[in-house]
Amino acid sequence: MGKVKIFFKSDCPLCGSAIKLKDSLAKEKVQVEFYNIETAEGLAEATFYRVLSVPTVIVEDKMENEIIDWRGKVPSVSEVLNAVKSL
Amino acid sequence: METTDINLFVRTSEETISDWNRGKIVEALLKETLIDESTADEISREVETIIKKSGIKFITAPLIREIVNAKLIEKGLETARKMHTRLGMPIYDVGNLILHPNKENANVPHGPEATNLTLAERIKKEYALLAVFSQEVSDAHMNGDIHIHDLGFIDRPYCSGQSVEYIKKFGLNFPHTLSMAKPAKHPEVLLAHLIKFSAALQSNFAGAIGWDAVNIFFAPYIVGMSDKEVKQLAQMLVFEFSQQAVARGGQAIFSDINLYWEVPKHFEHTPAIGPGGEYTGKTYGEYEKEAQRFAWMLFEVYKEGDGAGRPFFFPKPIVHITEKFFKTEGHLDFLYHICDVASDKGNTYFVFDRGDTAKISECCRLSFKLEERDLEDAKKPWRMRYCALQNVSINLPRIAYLAKGDDAKLFNLLTERFILAVKAHKEKRNFLEKLLSLGEDGPLALLTMKKDGLPYLRFNIASHLIGMVGLNEMVQVHLGEELHESKRALKFGLKVIAHMKLLAEKMSKQEGMRILLEQTPAESTSYRFARLDLRDFSPFSGRIVKGNIADGKVYYTNSTHLNVSIRLNPIERVTSEGIFHPLIEAGSISHVWLGESHPSKEAIADFVVKTFRYTTNDQIAFSPEFTTCNTCLKTSRGLKTRCEYCGSEDVDGITRITGYFTKISSWNKGKLGELADRFRNENFFSYSKEVANS
Ligand SMILES: [Zn+2]
Repeated sequence: MGKVKIFFKSDCPLCGSAIKLKDSLAKEKVQVEFYNIETAEGLAEATFYRVLSVPTVIVEDKMENEIIDWRGKVPSVSEVLNAVKSL
Repeated sequence: METTDINLFVRTSEETISDWNRGKIVEALLKETLIDESTADEISREVETIIKKSGIKFITAPLIREIVNAKLIEKGLETARKMHTRLGMPIYDVGNLILHPNKENANVPHGPEATNLTLAERIKKEYALLAVFSQEVSDAHMNGDIHIHDLGFIDRPYCSGQSVEYIKKFGLNFPHTLSMAKPAKHPEVLLAHLIKFSAALQSNFAGAIGWDAVNIFFAPYIVGMSDKEVKQLAQMLVFEFSQQAVARGGQAIFSDINLYWEVPKHFEHTPAIGPGGEYTGKTYGEYEKEAQRFAWMLFEVYKEGDGAGRPFFFPKPIVHITEKFFKTEGHLDFLYHICDVASDKGNTYFVFDRGDTAKISECCRLSFKLEERDLEDAKKPWRMRYCALQNVSINLPRIAYLAKGDDAKLFNLLTERFILAVKAHKEKRNFLEKLLSLGEDGPLALLTMKKDGLPYLRFNIASHLIGMVGLNEMVQVHLGEELHESKRALKFGLKVIAHMKLLAEKMSKQEGMRILLEQTPAESTSYRFARLDLRDFSPFSGRIVKGNIADGKVYYTNSTHLNVSIRLNPIERVTSEGIFHPLIEAGSISHVWLGESHPSKEAIADFVVKTFRYTTNDQIAFSPEFTTCNTCLKTSRGLKTRCEYCGSEDVDGITRITGYFTKISSWNKGKLGELADRFRNENFFSYSKEVANS
C-alpha cells in the first residue's frame, strides 16, 4: 500500500474537493497526509515536492518515492485507490 | 558668561587653542541634552574643580567632554549622557588602520582613500547604533543575535537595480553638478554616461549597482557598427567598470550587468530609445541581432581577461536563461561561448528564469521577480529602478543552542528574531525617509530628483531584506545531523526557511512594507557569528562551527548552503541547495568550486541545461582558482605558493570569495577557513568529459 499526500490552502476554490477526497480515502483505510501550505510544515513539504499549485495530490511508495501526482487538480477517489493499491 | 582665573588652554575641535571657559560646558549640555540649567551649571563647576586639582596646563575638548560624561553617569543622568556622548576612535586603532589593510570587505584595497572610508564608516556605525536604532535592536546586533549589514553606510540605502534607459532618455543632469550632459548621441558617450552615473550611484548606495538588460538597451546605438567597433565598445565597458577603483575609498564599483541572448518577452514590444534620447520607431524586439553581437563581444573580453590574463573582478556578467533562450537562434553557440568563459575565467553567472517569471539581479545576488506593476513599467523601462533599503541577517545556529532541542522554543525564538529584524528595518526606513524628505538640499539629493515625475529612488516599492546564516549548523545542533546527512535534516531545514518565508509575507502585510528573504552573502558575518558563539556557547559550539578553531579560522556555512567540504557531486549539490531557492525570493545561488580543473565548455553547458530543466535552483556560478605572479605578471591555474613560470614566491591567489572574485590575501580569517574546506569538483567534469568523448 502506498501513501497519499494532499496539499491545500484554506482559500482556494478547488480545495474543498481535496478535503472530500481526504475523507473518502480515510474511510478506505488509506494512509493520508494533509498539508496546509500556509503552515511552515505544509510549505516545507510542498517545497520539497516542488508543489507550485494547490490542490496537489501525490501518491508515494513506502520508500517515499513519488509514483503519481495530480498538480493543481483533484483526482477521483478510484483513481487514487488504483494507484495506492497497485503498490 | 563669567570668566575664570584658571590658567588653562583648551585644544578645541576647530584646531584652535582657547582659554578655559566653563560656560562652554553649560552651553553644550543645554544644546545637546534635556537637562536643566542649574544641573548643567553644577556639573560644569564640578568638572572645573577636577581639572584645577590636576594642575594640567593643556587639555583637549574631547577629554573635557568625557569628564562631563563621567559626571552625568555619577548623577544617574544616563539619557543625557547618551545624547552628550562623543563618537570616535582610540589613537592606537587609528594608527593601525592607517598602516594595515581592512579585511571586513575584500573589495576595499588598502590606501589613504580606503582609510578615510573606514574611519568614516566606524563613526557612522557608532552613530547608527546609538542614534538610529533602538537600544533593543542595537544590543541584538552587538551580541550577534542578528547582524545589520553596512552600518557604516547608515545614511544610504543598501543596493539597487538600474535601467540604462534613464540615462538614454534624460542624459546626465544631477542636482548640484556643475555641468549637464544631454542624452548621448554616440555609443562611447552613452558608455561614459553609464560609468559616471554608476560612480554617482555608488556614493549614494552601500552595496551593488546592477544594470538591467544592458546589451538590449545598447542595441539601438550599435546599428551599423563593425564587429571590431563593437568589440572595442565591449572592451571599454568592462575596463572602465573594473578600473573605477579610484572611486569611493579605492573600492571598485560593485557592479552587475544583466545580459540576455534573446530579447526578453517583457521588452519585446517596448518602443526603443536611440541616439539623442529619441524613439527610433522600432521596438527592442527588432534589435535582437545588435543586442546579441554586443553580448557576444562582452564575453570575448571576459574570456581574454585583464592585461595579466586574470579574470575581471567587476562588472559581474549575469546571463538570464529563460524558456525563450532555448527557442532563440544561435543560443547553443552562445551557451558554449559563455560556458567557455565560466570554465576558463569563472565570470559568468547563470540566472534561471523558469516559466513566466522575469527577474533582475542587482545586488550580490539580489534578484526581484517582476510583478504585474513592473511589467507595466517595462513599457517605460526607465521607471524600472529598484532598491533594497537594508539587509539584516539572523544568526540561526545560536537559536538552536538556546532551544536545547525543543522544537517549539526554536520556532518561537526564530519568530522573535525575525520581529527584531523587521524592527531594525522600520528604524532604518524612518531614518532614510527623514534624509530623503530634505530633497535636493539633503544628503541624498541624487535619489530625490524627479526627471520622470517619480523620485529617482522609488521608496514606496523598496524592499527590506532578511537573510539567514548557518542553517546547516542550526539543523546540526537541533537534530544532530547536517543538511546533507538525511532527508529528515533537509526537511527540517526547509521548515525553518518556510517559517521565515511565511513570517515575511505576514509582516509585509502588517507593516505595509516589502519584506523579502535573501541568501546573505555574509562575507564577514558568518565569521563574526561563529566567533561570538564560540565565546558564548562553548564547549558545544566548538563542535559545531566549521573551519579551524586552533588558528581562529572559523565560520558558519553561508545561508542555506550545504557544508562546503562534503564530497558531493555538483549535480546533487545544485539540486539539494536548489530546493530552498523558491522560498528565498530576493535571490539565491549555488557555487560549483572548480579548483584547478578546467572543464570543457560542453560539460559546463550540459550542467547548466540540466540545472535549468531538472532543478529549482535559481542561480549558479563556477569558480576556478588562479595564481597570479607579481614578478613576471603571468597567471596560472590553481592556488600555488610559487609561480609556475618564474618560480617567484611573490604571488597572489585569486578566486571567488562570495559574490565576486578577489585576491585571497585580502580575505578575513573565516573565509580563509572556508576556502581550505571547499570541496573542489576536480574529477566530476573531467569524468563527464570522458563520458562525452567515449
Ligand atoms: Zn612569475
